[in-house]
Amino acid sequence: MEQHAWILALSAIGAGLAMIAGIGPGIGQGFAAGKAAEAMGKNPKYGGRPATVVMLLGAAVAETSGIFSLVVAIIMLFANPLVSRGGVTAILAASALGAGFAMIAGIGPGIGQGYAAGKAAEAVGKRPKLQSAIVRTMLLGQAVAQTTGIYALIVALLLLFVNLF
Amino acid sequence: MDSNLDFGIKMPIKLFEVDGQWFGFTTTHVNTVIVILALTLFGLFVRAKLKNFKTIPDTKFQVFVELLVDGFEAFTMSTMGEKNKKFSMFYGPIFLFILLSNLTGLVGLRPPTADIATTFALSLTTFFMVQMYGVRSKGFGGYYKELFEPVPVLFPLNVIGELSNPVSLSFRLFGNILGGTIIMALYYTMMPWFALIGIPSVLHLYFDIFAGVLQTFIFVMLSMTFVSSAME
Repeated sequence: MEQHAWILALSAIGAGLAMIAGIGPGIGQGFAAGKAAEAMGKNPKYGGRPATVVMLLGAAVAETSGIFSLVVAIIMLFANPLVSRGGVTAILAASALGAGFAMIAGIGPGIGQGYAAGKAAEAVGKRPKLQSAIVRTMLLGQAVAQTTGIYALIVALLLLFVNLF
Repeated sequence: MDSNLDFGIKMPIKLFEVDGQWFGFTTTHVNTVIVILALTLFGLFVRAKLKNFKTIPDTKFQVFVELLVDGFEAFTMSTMGEKNKKFSMFYGPIFLFILLSNLTGLVGLRPPTADIATTFALSLTTFFMVQMYGVRSKGFGGYYKELFEPVPVLFPLNVIGELSNPVSLSFRLFGNILGGTIIMALYYTMMPWFALIGIPSVLHLYFDIFAGVLQTFIFVMLSMTFVSSAME
């Protein structure tokens, strides 16, 4: 097979692999939604609404790894920079595959951030007056939990855009 | 396909060429200058109105300005502690700059924060502030001795941990804003004309406004936490 076809073929596998990271946000957001429902059931009058707001905010942050994976998959499918670059076929094709593999790391941050969102929703449901303090602590922790996912994104973008080898 | 989809950095003003590589002002430079001009004009406007301000506010504009300044002071004090109130003078403008940069996607410009150069410059400022305020409050030996704790064997890991802070800080902002920019560019290129009515506003609401405000908040809050924890 010619070089062009090899790169496109392994980019297709890479795009599919990258989307495996969607497992993480799915589990995390499900946990957050469950905790918010629990808070709504325990304290519907005062704690339910704040808990829902915190759950939505935290779940949106937990979505970040899924969006990173989507971005890498979209780049590989629609604007693949490897196709127009000259070089050894095996290395270019494997770079596309490796970029997809790297994004699987998004599972971790997705689950962790969703867990934080769920615990924050639970805490707000119990003590609605502390909402702003709880939300800030949750966002700070979620931002730090995102770090390994960001490292994965750096490696994926390096493999796609920078001529490393 | 890749000729239509366009989210990269352009160079509208070319200056000179070295070995086939052009140097000049990119969209990042131009859009940064636009953001800075907007903030400067706002600052000059407030300064011109300043002599009309009274002890008890009688205009909505004065209430707005006081709300802004008070808000930043309260935010700084609750993150960095009461005694570090003066940092709001630095983090307030930084907050407004990042916020406005993130929101430039709404008017069709490419956000300056979707360029790693901008975000890395911002996070390097944080890195050197951490070192400076750490040394100033604990002394040179006192601050760098912490790299050898809890056991000296961990020194290399502590150094890597310290150096990875600006990297993760800059890529967090860069990755989120670039992701939004790429998805918006893809949507505008791929969709037929009838899908371009109304629906993009929902996407802008999430990728530009929600992610933009949230990442501004996270960047400034993390930066404040790094600086204030180096001082304790």
